Amino acid sequence: MTQLDWLRERRSTLLAYALTVALFLVGVIHSSAFASASSIRQMLVFASFVGIAALGQTLVILAGGLDLSVPWLMAFGGVELSRLSHSGTPAGVGIVIVIAIGIAIGVLNGIGVTRLRVPPIVMTLAMGGLIQSYLLAVGQLSSTGDAVPSAAVDLASNRVGPIPVIAIVWLVVAIAAGLLISRTAFGRRVHATGENEVAASLSGIRVDRIRLATYAISGGASAFGGTVLAGYVGTTYLEIGAPYLFASIAAVVVGGASILGGRGTYWGTVAGALTLTVLSSLLPLFHLRTADLDIVYGVVILLGVWLSGAGQTLGGVRLRTGKPLDKQLTSEAGSDAAR
Amino acid sequence: MSAVTPVRARPGAISLRRSWSWTNAVTAFILVALIIADLSIQPALGNLVQIGLLVETALPLILLAVAQTFVVLVGGIDLSVGGMYVVTNAITVQWVGLHGGAHQWLLLVALGFGLAMGALNGLLVVRFGFQPFIATLGTWTIFNGIALLILPTDGGSPPPLLTNLLAGQVAGIPSAIVILVAIFVLWRGLRATRFGVRMYAVGADEERARLNGTPVRSIKLAVYVIAGMCAALAGIYAAAANASGTPTGGDAYILTSVAAVVIGGTSLRGGEGGVGLTLMAAMSLTLINDIVGAENLNTWVSVAAGAALLLALVIARTLVDAVIARRGHS
Repeated sequence: MTQLDWLRERRSTLLAYALTVALFLVGVIHSSAFASASSIRQMLVFASFVGIAALGQTLVILAGGLDLSVPWLMAFGGVELSRLSHSGTPAGVGIVIVIAIGIAIGVLNGIGVTRLRVPPIVMTLAMGGLIQSYLLAVGQLSSTGDAVPSAAVDLASNRVGPIPVIAIVWLVVAIAAGLLISRTAFGRRVHATGENEVAASLSGIRVDRIRLATYAISGGASAFGGTVLAGYVGTTYLEIGAPYLFASIAAVVVGGASILGGRGTYWGTVAGALTLTVLSSLLPLFHLRTADLDIVYGVVILLGVWLSGAGQTLGGVRLRTGKPLDKQLTSEAGSDAAR
Repeated sequence: MSAVTPVRARPGAISLRRSWSWTNAVTAFILVALIIADLSIQPALGNLVQIGLLVETALPLILLAVAQTFVVLVGGIDLSVGGMYVVTNAITVQWVGLHGGAHQWLLLVALGFGLAMGALNGLLVVRFGFQPFIATLGTWTIFNGIALLILPTDGGSPPPLLTNLLAGQVAGIPSAIVILVAIFVLWRGLRATRFGVRMYAVGADEERARLNGTPVRSIKLAVYVIAGMCAALAGIYAAAANASGTPTGGDAYILTSVAAVVIGGTSLRGGEGGVGLTLMAAMSLTLINDIVGAENLNTWVSVAAGAALLLALVIARTLVDAVIARRGHS
């Protein structure tokens, strides 16, 4: 990575934090209640859901993929936890089981993308459909939903002193994920894989394993996010995760990551999650309706991406990762021979 | 540097051509199998009126999947098709239908909105250099917001003339079938034009097309505009067919439209496939729903069947492509 890339990466992350602070200040100036403890707590809780949902998405996108199964994995997390606790499983064990199943589903996504060469969009879209049909089949779910075990409710709504437990969990997860991505060999390999899969592979990185791992982490994190989300809402229902497809991807790109992979940090995603949450908390203050919120959301995402330069093509000719690795390799090798 | 790679010949290009007819045949086979299955369950389906009703159910998805096909053919993706659909749907039931249909000309406004929204997507991609995924992720929620501004909740009513026209018959044939045939004929016509050829060239290898003097940016912009118009037609048609509108019903179509494109056999890499395949795939998905409904099966069966079909086809095509490519290289 060149120094310029390093600076650019920091620039877009800093920009995202500056945006969060600016939006927060707008709220405070408009109404001092915006800075009250309960208001900040509320925002932290909502941002935690987005942040946890976007954790796996960050890794997957960094490695050059995309995970569209996140919302269904979240719904699955809540529903499965309720089912387990109905059958007498302690909530703690239930959460662990749910995370394990989430990881297993993520591994299936990873196998589809790496071994079977299914484009990430198609693989995770189909997996989302399969999870959805499972949820429809087991639950005969009505929109009223099932009750959630009290431990999950506690996790989502209790506080330590003034700080919500879930926000502390998110902070711990964020530090771990941030270090994992920025400071470990695994993180460097994820970056390298997303930057240039062929080069990474030639330099000895087992890119298939790296990509598979990102989907596995995404599966586990989304399923866990689903359990705490269900705990916060108090019930589970099929569409509970729906907003998080958009939010998880938006948080990643507002945080300055490139949708093409190779560039981005979890610190950036944290800023993206905070920005989106402060923004949606801000708009009711100005008596804006859902409609206005949607429009402002879209404009902010486009502006944020535009300012950080993250969504843009560099020269417009970068190889996409949907292309099977062996094809990339053969075309590279062939061109070298031709030269 | 890998940036130069697309200019060079793709070793796989010939084998991709060869597997192309195979893809076509599979898509057609699935459709025929589903038609036979549905007919054996419900023999009453075998008349024009019933087929018309089936096509009527399928048409909003078909039009949105056609929109998606155009964008995918040039190597992009359009997450905002559902957004463009709800905006024009809302306009049709709210503005056009408001005074008992006295202002039919406002339908042109709905089409104009489709054109403008498509052009916005296109400009974000070709002028401002956004990745198609990001550009349309942003406009998706913007368009959803605009639809909610026009029509705050489900309801409204389309102009009666439109309902009679689109849900009625033309010379004894249900309008839905006429529209379906028209889409196919228009597509075949467009594909034969210079624009059609260039569209495929841009999708297959953008850099080479540019070097050959193809106006890549204009082609892409035009493609997004066409997608906007198709989505607008879907919104208008759904308003007439359902006799009501929805400002939130578009999201469900976004990923389904992508699924229909991929099941049909159009490559997400661009340059391969076409609207004909998408028409067959969208009809297949509709037939699955119809069979599940007729057999009184739970909804999960159709969701699972759609997802399984999507996965199985993509994996099978990849495997066959790999086999053909290996044979071609040896």
